[in-house]
Amino acid sequence: MQSDDVARTVAAQIGERFLGLEPFPRTAGRLRFRSEAALPLFHTVKEQLGFHHLSMVGGIDWVTHREVFYVVWSDDRRQYLLLSADLPAAAPHIESAASVWPAANWHERETWELVDIQFDHHPDLRHLLLPDGYEAHPLLRSFQLHEPEELEVKQRSV
Amino acid sequence: MSAPPAPPMPRTAGSAAEAYRLEGELPMVEQPAVPFVEIETVRAREFIPAAKEAFGALIAEQGQAKLIRPTFNWAGRNSLFPLHWGLACCAIEFASAFSARWDSERFGIVPRSSPRQCDLMIVNGTVTWKVAHKLITLYEQMPEPKWVIAMGNCATGGGPFRTAYSVVPGVDKLVPVDVYIAGCPPRPEAMIDGILRLEELIRERRE
Repeated sequence: MQSDDVARTVAAQIGERFLGLEPFPRTAGRLRFRSEAALPLFHTVKEQLGFHHLSMVGGIDWVTHREVFYVVWSDDRRQYLLLSADLPAAAPHIESAASVWPAANWHERETWELVDIQFDHHPDLRHLLLPDGYEAHPLLRSFQLHEPEELEVKQRSV
Repeated sequence: MSAPPAPPMPRTAGSAAEAYRLEGELPMVEQPAVPFVEIETVRAREFIPAAKEAFGALIAEQGQAKLIRPTFNWAGRNSLFPLHWGLACCAIEFASAFSARWDSERFGIVPRSSPRQCDLMIVNGTVTWKVAHKLITLYEQMPEPKWVIAMGNCATGGGPFRTAYSVVPGVDKLVPVDVYIAGCPPRPEAMIDGILRLEELIRERRE
């Protein structure tokens, strides 16, 4: 019931790049959008709908495509809202949310290094959890575990 | 009619220990009394000249080279100051080894927070590649002579994360390790045992 105005406001702002609002348990819903509408959507969600707190950013490798999702929280509604966008499997990229929610900075660094999603205009896209110079993206389905000795040689050469 | 309750056990016989004996317990063996020895308190200003004199006599008798290394080893192994790495759950066991129950400080082990005050590095936890170069840096900041203890399976060989993408498979890939302590996590007794074995190593140290 409360999520009606979410769908209406977002549809008014980003038009047909808004792909729908699915019900999702214990949240205001799961909002699907096209990745090119990322920045106007983030501004709408934060400034017009009042979701001021970015709780987390994550990514999923679905092999055929990749999904990036944002979990935002509103103190007024006392509700979470999920924002989700599908990205192509080849060279997935989306606009960074760090200019809207500063909390996105580290979350996007983590998502980038683990799931290989490029965040455009990110202020500081470096490795967060993995050592500098690590080339693989370990949470991709195509990632192969190395034997420890192989990995050691690789790390030493970096 | 029911039997009257048994009278309480007489508490008069035997020593004080006998009086507190529980029902069904074997009687205590009387221990011979330990003779009371009066220990003379020695002030530092009296002790130091006396020790100086004794050491001087020993050096004159045995030669300096023969005496100085055992003395250093004796002092070093009885005042090991560990630099600890609270990287994972082993750090909890490490902390409890310094609690009142195990009290590792009676072996002269006092954890310090600066590598420049330490001569023993205890790696307790999972070392990731992200922290590896910091570990090497802190090892290099420790003054010689220095020792390393790998505590727990993760520090010894990577543990269950050996094949993981971000974990160093054993801290001996980074720094030389003297003593490995097995366990996941090792109990404080195991940690104390490892440190005592390291003290044995230091005792046999020649150079």
